[in-house]
Amino acid sequence: MASSSPPFASGPPRPRPGFAPSANANVAGAPQISQIGRPVPSSAAPSAPLQPSPFSAPLPASSRPGHPQFASRPPAAAFPQGLVASNGPQGLAAPRIPPPTHAQPTPPVGAPASIRAPSPSAASSQAQAVRPFPGSPPAAAASRPFTSPPSSQQFGRPPISHPLSGSPTSQPPFGGPPTLQPPFAGSHPALAGLPTTQLPFNRPPTSQQFGGPPTQQTFTRPPVSQPYMGSQPYAGRPSPPSYVGPPSSQPFPGPPTMGAPSGTPAPAWPSQPRQVLPSMPGNMQAPPRMFGMPPGTPGHTMPPVPPAMGNSPLAGSQISTPSKIDPNQIPRPLPSSSVTLFETRQGNQANVPPPATSNFVVKDNGNCSPRLMRCTMNQIPCTGDLLSTSSMPLALMVQPLALPHPSEEPIQIVDFGESGPIRCSRCKGYINPFMKFIDHGRRFICNLCGFTNDTPRDYYCNLGPDGRRRDADERPELCRGTVEFVATREYMVRDPMPAVFFFLIDVSMNAVQTGATAAACSAISQSLADLPDGPRTMVGIATFDCTIHFYNLGRASQQPLMLIVPDVHDVYTPLHTDIIVQLAECRQSLEQLLENIPNIFENNKVAESAFGAAIKAGFLALKPTGGKLLVFQSVLPSVGIGSLSSREAEGRTNVSSGDKEAHKLLQPADKTLKAMAGEFAEYQVCVDMFITTQSYVDIASISVVPGTTGGQVYYYYPFSALSDPGKLYNDLRWNISRPQGFEAVMRVRCSQGLQVQEYSGNFCKRIPTDIDLPGIDCDKTIMVTFKHDDKFQENSECGIQCALLYTTVYGQRRIRVINLSLPCTSMLSNLFRSADLDTQFACFLKQAASMIPVSSLSQVREHITNLCINILHAYRKYCATVSSSGQLILPEALKLLPLYTLALAKSIGLRNDGRLDDRSYWVSLVTSLPISLAIPLVYPRMIPIHNLTAKEDDESLLPASIPLSSEHISDDGIYLLENGEDGLIYIGNMANPEMLQQIFGVPSVDGLPSQLVLEQFDNDVSKKLNDIVNEIRKQRCSYLRLRLCRKGDPSGMHFMSYMVEDKTPGGLSYVEFLVHVHRQIQTKMA
Amino acid sequence: MSDDIAVGGGATPTPDPDGLDGVRMTWNSWPRSKVEASKCVIPVAASIAPIRASPFLVVLPYAPLRCKPPCGAVLNPFARVDFFAKIWICPFCFSRNHFPPHYAGINETNVPGELYSQCTTVEYAPPPLDAAAPPPPPVFLFVLDTCLIEEELGYVKSAMRRAIGLLPDHALVGLITFGTQVHLHELGFADMSKIYVFRGTKEISKEQILDHLGLSSAGVRHGAVTGAPRYTKGPQPNGLHPSTSVYRFLLPASDCDYTLNSLLDELQSDRWPVEAGNRALRCTGVALSVAAGLLGACVAGTGVRIIALVGGPCTVGPGMIVSKDLSEPVRSQKDLDKDAAPHFHKAIKFYDNLAKQLVNQGHVLDLFASALDQVGVAEMKVAVERTGGLVVLAESFGHPVFKHSFKRIFEDDEQSLGLAFNGTLDINCSKDIKIQGIIGPCTSLDKGSLCADSVVGQGNTTSWKMCGLDRTTCLTVFFDISPSERSSQPGIPNPQLYIQFLMHYQNPKGQMRLRVTTITRRWVDGSNTEELVEGFDQETAAVVLARYVSLKMEMEKEFDATRWLDRSLIRLCSRFGNYRKEDPASFTLHPNFSILPQFMFNLRRSQFIQVSNNSPDETAYFQMLLNRESITNSVVMIQPSLLSYSFNSPPAPALLDVASISADHILLLDAYFSIVIFHGMTIAQWRNMGYQNQPEHQAFSQLLQAPQDDAQMIIRDRFPVPRLVICDQHGSQARFLLVKLNPSSTYNSAHEVVPGGDVIFTDDVSLQVFSEHLQRLAVQ
Repeated sequence: MASSSPPFASGPPRPRPGFAPSANANVAGAPQISQIGRPVPSSAAPSAPLQPSPFSAPLPASSRPGHPQFASRPPAAAFPQGLVASNGPQGLAAPRIPPPTHAQPTPPVGAPASIRAPSPSAASSQAQAVRPFPGSPPAAAASRPFTSPPSSQQFGRPPISHPLSGSPTSQPPFGGPPTLQPPFAGSHPALAGLPTTQLPFNRPPTSQQFGGPPTQQTFTRPPVSQPYMGSQPYAGRPSPPSYVGPPSSQPFPGPPTMGAPSGTPAPAWPSQPRQVLPSMPGNMQAPPRMFGMPPGTPGHTMPPVPPAMGNSPLAGSQISTPSKIDPNQIPRPLPSSSVTLFETRQGNQANVPPPATSNFVVKDNGNCSPRLMRCTMNQIPCTGDLLSTSSMPLALMVQPLALPHPSEEPIQIVDFGESGPIRCSRCKGYINPFMKFIDHGRRFICNLCGFTNDTPRDYYCNLGPDGRRRDADERPELCRGTVEFVATREYMVRDPMPAVFFFLIDVSMNAVQTGATAAACSAISQSLADLPDGPRTMVGIATFDCTIHFYNLGRASQQPLMLIVPDVHDVYTPLHTDIIVQLAECRQSLEQLLENIPNIFENNKVAESAFGAAIKAGFLALKPTGGKLLVFQSVLPSVGIGSLSSREAEGRTNVSSGDKEAHKLLQPADKTLKAMAGEFAEYQVCVDMFITTQSYVDIASISVVPGTTGGQVYYYYPFSALSDPGKLYNDLRWNISRPQGFEAVMRVRCSQGLQVQEYSGNFCKRIPTDIDLPGIDCDKTIMVTFKHDDKFQENSECGIQCALLYTTVYGQRRIRVINLSLPCTSMLSNLFRSADLDTQFACFLKQAASMIPVSSLSQVREHITNLCINILHAYRKYCATVSSSGQLILPEALKLLPLYTLALAKSIGLRNDGRLDDRSYWVSLVTSLPISLAIPLVYPRMIPIHNLTAKEDDESLLPASIPLSSEHISDDGIYLLENGEDGLIYIGNMANPEMLQQIFGVPSVDGLPSQLVLEQFDNDVSKKLNDIVNEIRKQRCSYLRLRLCRKGDPSGMHFMSYMVEDKTPGGLSYVEFLVHVHRQIQTKMA
Repeated sequence: MSDDIAVGGGATPTPDPDGLDGVRMTWNSWPRSKVEASKCVIPVAASIAPIRASPFLVVLPYAPLRCKPPCGAVLNPFARVDFFAKIWICPFCFSRNHFPPHYAGINETNVPGELYSQCTTVEYAPPPLDAAAPPPPPVFLFVLDTCLIEEELGYVKSAMRRAIGLLPDHALVGLITFGTQVHLHELGFADMSKIYVFRGTKEISKEQILDHLGLSSAGVRHGAVTGAPRYTKGPQPNGLHPSTSVYRFLLPASDCDYTLNSLLDELQSDRWPVEAGNRALRCTGVALSVAAGLLGACVAGTGVRIIALVGGPCTVGPGMIVSKDLSEPVRSQKDLDKDAAPHFHKAIKFYDNLAKQLVNQGHVLDLFASALDQVGVAEMKVAVERTGGLVVLAESFGHPVFKHSFKRIFEDDEQSLGLAFNGTLDINCSKDIKIQGIIGPCTSLDKGSLCADSVVGQGNTTSWKMCGLDRTTCLTVFFDISPSERSSQPGIPNPQLYIQFLMHYQNPKGQMRLRVTTITRRWVDGSNTEELVEGFDQETAAVVLARYVSLKMEMEKEFDATRWLDRSLIRLCSRFGNYRKEDPASFTLHPNFSILPQFMFNLRRSQFIQVSNNSPDETAYFQMLLNRESITNSVVMIQPSLLSYSFNSPPAPALLDVASISADHILLLDAYFSIVIFHGMTIAQWRNMGYQNQPEHQAFSQLLQAPQDDAQMIIRDRFPVPRLVICDQHGSQARFLLVKLNPSSTYNSAHEVVPGGDVIFTDDVSLQVFSEHLQRLAVQ
């Protein structure tokens, strides 16, 4: 495909390459696909179902109004958020009892499925409207956006509340089904009965959440899946054609095809989109709300109070109470698989984005897609005091090259020619839809700094009657939240760099003997086809043990020459040219070489590894151009620059230092690598590390290099030559073929009143305002925190603009400008209503990760728990004062925060029993983790796979997930748990032998291999399972390290450690945790 | 000294001035006292050729008998033997030694070879300790410069190919190429071409090199690598472990023949970019360090030649002689005189250390420098000379001087250089004789007690290491006569003095040999001038003076060589000439002294003294050859020989004078470094008209051919191959002849020139003027 002009050249659309293909593929043999020329392999199949479903779903939904749905999902509706009531006296049993029963059975199945966009949303909106305080709110609320729809919905909603009332705490949620209608009624009673009564009111909203909608938001996965439909990215190594071929090409090529922005997707999506769209209208309004209260609330001052669990005042009783809480009624994420359309702005107001993990299609009409940038709160507090009162973080997650949904309009490319993009002459902010043109268009006011600029003559345009420029809708930079400008000379210190990939392979004894070297060579060899085409793609290769071996690839038709650099204390490159050559010229000799390397070093007896020197040498080779350095490392670097000692062992022997000093081992051993990394970054060298090891490699120290250069660490521990090569290959392939940019610089600007406090992520920072990203790709996320330096006016908007200057793999210099404009508020309740759970949690996660190396684990856990408690306390104190102090009241938007906080406290990074490297890896992973993967990482998805064939009717490919609690695991079951990184398959010891035979090809638990390679056997179960795994891979952009876990051995224990809702030796159960939180809040209130 | 020559059979086809012993002395009668010795002006010195080839050499297949320690002298014809008591008395220390049991059969009529009176030089070839072990193979490590233009690289490659073809199959071969960086080729790596790359800018220690090559741990098995570098006598029997790392880098020629050739095929000029206005970066120093380090680890103690082929100056790293910036010229002699060569001393120091390392390992550095500009021979000289390496300086790798010389190293025929390794020279002297030192290709081992306080050259020792030597290698030993109180007492009148040279070495076949030369000379009373005069060897004296002066020029700042030589000559003439005081006309010299003034005249004008006419590299080159060549050859360097060819008369020696030029003569000048065939004007005209091709002018053709043939004769025997210049009178190349001639007629005296003759455009004094002055000054 238009490799040359590609992706972006085509101008308008730049779809999400990588995955797009697949999605389309399924959908309708989209044009893209055809272009790519890749067959629509199996992947197609899986994807197909997904997409259709999302869209189709809506339809049905619309067609059948709320009823059926509601009915079906009763359980969901019930509990909602909030409150977990510990039961005080009254709240107690009642709630649970009725609902519980329903709940349990129903939730899993019914809820997800049933939850359609429309219904939930409706409910929520109404709820809000309703509950608001008796007085004014309701009306107001209604009047606003929601007016029309809400009202109708409201009706629906109330019922929900009702059930609640019955049992205040439990609420309808679970009772769900019936609840819908009752709500109203219920609420009253509730009110009457208890202090909680208000809750009920409040609750209703909450209830909604619980009811379908809320849950959906949090957990909707499906959306994700679509992006990846491509599936291709993950080719199961060689064999599975389905995954293999096209991926690479697509990523980028895809875009090009996009030429017709809409066009491409069109074919594929068209059909569906249309369906959707049509339906959308109806839904349109709904969707936004669906996702959460936010939608409904936008304008509302609504009653803060949401869900609360009745809690009896008695402290003493509380203790006992926890046990009485019905675990099934407490807030849990509920998945939704339907696709929603999200318009970023409506009525000149920012919409609250759907959950990051849900399946949505963005229509950019002024604000950027939430995939690219989303804020912890969708309204900006007017003052710093208000912010600190809320205890919530104000931060922005920027994923500047995030993959779009295949059916989204590609990002438009704007070329201003010689003059370059229009910028504010004071703050240098880029032109964006929120710059206000005045004086008949002759001047414009910068939305960031407020400066009034003259409009350049050739950019002048009259204003229309509405005060907008007449050409605003034709100019992407004036109507789209995200555009890409073609950079002029002014933005280049040199010609855009070529796409250079330098591979560095560990060939020390261990690496060779464990098969890591062979796996790396094979992965590289296979991935060559996925490198960008064209003369600008250069490659080089080197191997290392205690010396560094370069290969002269520039000798056409001759055997490569091995050049050894033996001085690992002061390295250099052995050649000036020919180490890095055009891929096209050396393809054959490179493949030959990769084939030979494992043989050449077959008998290598050198156990030492000069890792530091090797990367330095690789850097020197790349220094003239910059580029990506892909390192395959298997053992602890032991010689040369940056060599490390086995601190883990030292830590163990030196017991006296104890736990107090333990975290020091998670800090880099010294500054050598950090300094090197800084130099790498300066010369635009981005380092990715593939750590294929069976021992301690001190990731804490070496991850500094990728962390500073915009790279990432891939960790395969313990490396298995049997099961890991597939993942290694797919990781590498995705690494080099995903959308990415080089020599990037990023800066975030915001309106006066706020200022950027800190950036965090994988980058190098040399000056306070900018961050340097030698490499940036679609999976990298940067967190930006803000602080107030002034006040905002109540009705003003705060603009946030992220500008990323980068070079595409095809050598074009671009400036991607991402804009977000959010309303400012001085109402605390608005802040809570507009809070973004995913973003806030991601923020917590990253904060925790940054603390791990500098604080003891217990401090970190305490810190994050306190963050959670402080927020809830603030809410309780300022927004839910009316409710009983015996109730735990959770803001609707953040009702899952306690659960995720608990899960975080029990995650690998914060667990006491983890290995140092596991923890360090976790830290490095989290640092650049996208929002959409933040929650899954700590609260994985678990699905039963022993009954796959049972429910054929399900339109969703993935079975409903079940809570992470051992109660839900039975001995005769088989479960798949995935967190975006690892996939654990747990096999109960009573598992059905027939099922085992079908899935694994062995008749009994005992016959299972220790290392898993998931094969596809000729039976439905196996096919289904493979489809599921592939689907997850697509969703997560990750191949997953599949491992078998058996009850009763360490692997089983490992699996069980993910059951975060369970009580563990060092941690509370979910219910206990809620009680703990509640008690803490009460203490504070007192 | 010819009377000392005791040649078996007495049938000497051609009188050999050096004789079997290969020893020539300035004074064959030694003054008794220090004062008298100093009055002799010319130092008491001997020029020895320790392993001179001779058809009459007696080789004894057993171990020598040695005098009891500390003397250690070997039994020789001058020992007094008591056949009855089976006792011999050492002529050096007068100890009495019993013959061992296996000499039991000794009697007057049955004496072992070493006691034959004519066998003052014998060679012992005791059977090796381990008869089964083959002698260690020779090792050749090529160090090849790649900062060359394609043409030169082509020449050097073809020279290398030829050399590889000539190597004995069992010889071990290694290859290092260098430019900006050093490439050490691992020839034993089968999978692909594997090269260790060392940076050119950084000096690396031997230990680092071993570490980098992964030899340090493997080396534990070799004695060589562990501990400090140490001198090993002879090859270590375990020096080569077939299984060890040796064979990674050094492979038998028969095994790596193909590899080497393909490597050469692929070898390209250094690929690092050369910025405009700069020289190529060339790290000769590091390359040699790496070579030395590698060999130290792998084959310490065995015979190794590092053959460096260098095409330009070292511009980077240790041993750098000039910066890469072209605006900085390579140091000239003037710079050195003014001490304005910024890199010179550092480089010398570096090569000095390298020399020490190589000597410790017993390895030889040969230098083949081929470039129009200097390459740093002056700095590298120390490493070459101390290790007994060969040196060849040429303009290009395509030049016959290089091509033919290079080939000679590997040839194994009559012209073979007889390259030997691992020599150790020990000298025993009669008491009252001490040794000041040696000038020549050797290194002092700093041991022994018979050393003089004043040191000349490699001194402070009676034992010297000669890592490499060949049958023409020649050393100059300086003696100091310092009679002790006791010996000056008239009571012990021993009229003879004895000197014994013990030369251990590994011959070209790899066998260990000990050659013992014992000589005797007479003490004379210093006041007896006649006896001293009789024993004077003016050729040797001229050469020794030349070597001595060169050394002083090198060692002493501000040393005025010409003045020193003049003074010495005047003193000598005053002392040994016959004259009446203040009467120059009465001055005559004994025939044994008669040519010396002429030698001195030519020496003063030679490249050895007039160094400012040459680059430091050339000077160093000339000096190294002067120091290692035989007396005969050295005399030619000082005073070239001139042959004249004409019709109707056989070739005849001609005066080294411009007057010898004649239009109808052909002159053949042998100036050692160059050979000039000079056609008189008429001859040249005839030749240009092609008479030589006409049958009726066969004689002319023969005349033309004769000097060519003679030149080839000279060239064939000489190493390095001299440069052959064929020129015509008044041609530009004629300067090669004119510069050597006595300017008896200059432009000042042009009117006296005979037709067909020539003049020299110079202000130099002629021999006649020089002699007149000498006479005048000598009689004062």
